Amino acid sequence: MALDVDQRLERARRPGFGIGLLKGMRVLLKHLFKRNSVIQYPDVKQDLSPRTRGVIALKEENCTVCMLCARECPDWCIYIDSHKETLPPKREGGRPRKRNVLDRFAIDYALCMYCGICVEVCPYDALFWSREFEYAEYDIRQLTHEKEKLSDWMATVLPPTELEEGADIPGQPSKAAPAAAAATQTATPTAAATAATPASVTSSATEARPGQAQTAPREGTAATEAARPAASAPDAATTPAPETAKPAPGLAEEVKDQQMDSTAEARAEPEVKRDAGGAVEAEGSQAEVEDKAEAETPSTPESTAVTQTPPPAAAAPSRPAPRIEDLEQPEDAYARVLDEQSKAGSSPQVAEARAKVARVKAERAMTQARAAAPQEVAPTPEPSGAPGAAEPEPEQGPVAPTPEEKPDSSAPQAEASSPGEDPEAVFERVLEEERAKGSSDAVATARAKAARMRAGRGAGSAGPQEQEGTKGPND
Amino acid sequence: MIEITLTDWQILLVKLLIILIVVPVGALVGGYVLHKEMAHMQHRLGPMYAGGWHGWAQTLADGIKFAYKEDIIPASADKRVFSLAPAVIFVPVLLLYLVIPIDQNLIVEDLDVGLFFLLAIGSVGSIGVLMAGWSSANKYALIGALRSAGQLIAYELPIVLSAAAIAMLAGTLSLVGIVEAQDWPYIVWPPGIGLALFLLFLAGAMAEMALPPFDMPVAESELITGPFTEYTGMRFIFGFFFAETAHMIAFAAIGTTLFLGGYKPIVPWEPLEVIPGVLWFFVKTSFMVFLLLWVRFSFPRLREDQLQKFAWKALIPLSLVLILATGAWILYGP
Repeated sequence: MALDVDQRLERARRPGFGIGLLKGMRVLLKHLFKRNSVIQYPDVKQDLSPRTRGVIALKEENCTVCMLCARECPDWCIYIDSHKETLPPKREGGRPRKRNVLDRFAIDYALCMYCGICVEVCPYDALFWSREFEYAEYDIRQLTHEKEKLSDWMATVLPPTELEEGADIPGQPSKAAPAAAAATQTATPTAAATAATPASVTSSATEARPGQAQTAPREGTAATEAARPAASAPDAATTPAPETAKPAPGLAEEVKDQQMDSTAEARAEPEVKRDAGGAVEAEGSQAEVEDKAEAETPSTPESTAVTQTPPPAAAAPSRPAPRIEDLEQPEDAYARVLDEQSKAGSSPQVAEARAKVARVKAERAMTQARAAAPQEVAPTPEPSGAPGAAEPEPEQGPVAPTPEEKPDSSAPQAEASSPGEDPEAVFERVLEEERAKGSSDAVATARAKAARMRAGRGAGSAGPQEQEGTKGPND
Repeated sequence: MIEITLTDWQILLVKLLIILIVVPVGALVGGYVLHKEMAHMQHRLGPMYAGGWHGWAQTLADGIKFAYKEDIIPASADKRVFSLAPAVIFVPVLLLYLVIPIDQNLIVEDLDVGLFFLLAIGSVGSIGVLMAGWSSANKYALIGALRSAGQLIAYELPIVLSAAAIAMLAGTLSLVGIVEAQDWPYIVWPPGIGLALFLLFLAGAMAEMALPPFDMPVAESELITGPFTEYTGMRFIFGFFFAETAHMIAFAAIGTTLFLGGYKPIVPWEPLEVIPGVLWFFVKTSFMVFLLLWVRFSFPRLREDQLQKFAWKALIPLSLVLILATGAWILYGP
């Protein structure tokens, strides 16, 4: 019996003399007439997968020198040098603060095995994969990319891939999105009309405004702040956006133009993000928001939106409304800048590079908005569902007052306050404002203190840093 | 009309000149076809740059490159024999074209012993291979040359015997006569025996040219390039690549002449007679080249002992049986 099986197997294995050869010939003939799928590389470039592990890009501003990447790297190919610098205390009588300053960040791509552990492990989103892979060198030493080069790669990093349809956004109740969208719709027409209302929009419908968030952060600090809380619900983004934008098309155009001009915000953004990153903003006192505006003003001198609009009472707060319309997708930004650049007579390479930068910025804005959303959203489930949030009432909800008052009071003040405003003056001013509003003494003092701290940091960030820096990076 | 009267010698010279132009050009085109067919069968593109359009000038560029290379003769080599060997390989290949009828009247010399001439001249090349291998003073070259010689002896027999069967059927050794004697359908002429003879001839021809799967003499994994290991530059290209391609086309033409009806139309149909025989010959030869390349690219290389066994234990007995069958067919057939 077993012998029979063996025999049959034997026979199956040998279908006959030369049959295999004929089969081989048939395969070759088939391939001869098949359409050839070769991509002629230097001429034609393959559209690589968005997750391609090409090169690792460094977002220097996000790096806190925590050394996790260097420690986790199996090849030990990441070199980090840093020094500590002392900043003045936040409040009077406090301890001076220490801060890590990145002096060197280098990845030796001759050693790197592209495992991506560093990208995975980075807790501050400072490392990203880029699809670029054409960085071969004649000299192996050139393969060690210093932080300048690694930062340049950031321009080629793609935005994170979209979530799947119906996927739950981490850290957020999934049902909040539609309700919030409804809130936005009711809220924003008013926003276009009066200067005050956008505040309520931001406050109440925070999570419902990804549309804004996608485009917004470009425009300036105030705008960034308004938009940051949004964008948690990408699905809801498209629907409310065009509708809300309709009331103020003229403004939208204006803002768009401004947006085109202001290309330098990118550098300011990370700071903004860091401020917003923690639970700080969720805590949400008015003074803090104010102060942030103040503090950021000096740190973002390039930001045209901030510097160019000194009488902002009307312009700045109303910006959120038209911004929705912009809805600038990264690809649109790319195309637009490319077009502009080529019209302006830039060389193709420069034009392309700038367009890429614009695209990356647009992408980054979206990413940041998305990233910021869960933190913002957590404490605001209540107002998000309430359509009545459109009314600018301060005492409405636990968190509502915060962002609401922000544009209301902070926007004018932010612009009014000079970059180097004295912390003490800020303290006094905020205290007065708080009292005028009827906050309790304790709250008023606390907020004023917070404002002073922020003002101090904002004003002092330039000074001491430089002084320490000159002392020597190897402290 | 100006009457140009040429003496026989002048006509012969013109014909030889044409051969001298056509054969190298044909070899270049054949080399290009080889590159491209192999590439596409292996799902590649092959040469794409040289000359612009799909790398049409690749073989030309290769030739120019080899022409510029230094001609190195090893110090311990037998210099005269070493430098003569490529010519001994290449010239017989050129001579093969003398007796192949491209059309009924388009032939350099319609020898009465054309078939015999073909077989005789075709074997001279093996002397060149032996010369190259021996004079190189290189073990790889010598082993390759000996393998080549052994292979030629083994596979010359099936070729000769299948050609002899054809000559028996046609009743002549003249190649024009053989073509004229063939009836449609050519490769099944006579039924069964013709096809078997054709396959026999193909196997023998591929072995004689040392094409895969019979390329043991130049098996690069063990012998580098066999007898041509020490050659460089023009000698290498003429002795090896150029001769190989020209040889392949020559054998395709011979196969066309002996088995596929040469310059005759594919089917004996009146309207097809209008198309010149040269074109038919070209189409059939191209088919033969394609077939040779196709087999060459699909089959794995035989081991040396398999190669010899296949010749002596399979092909030669088979060809003897076929000779008998052909004789029987002539005597007792219709």
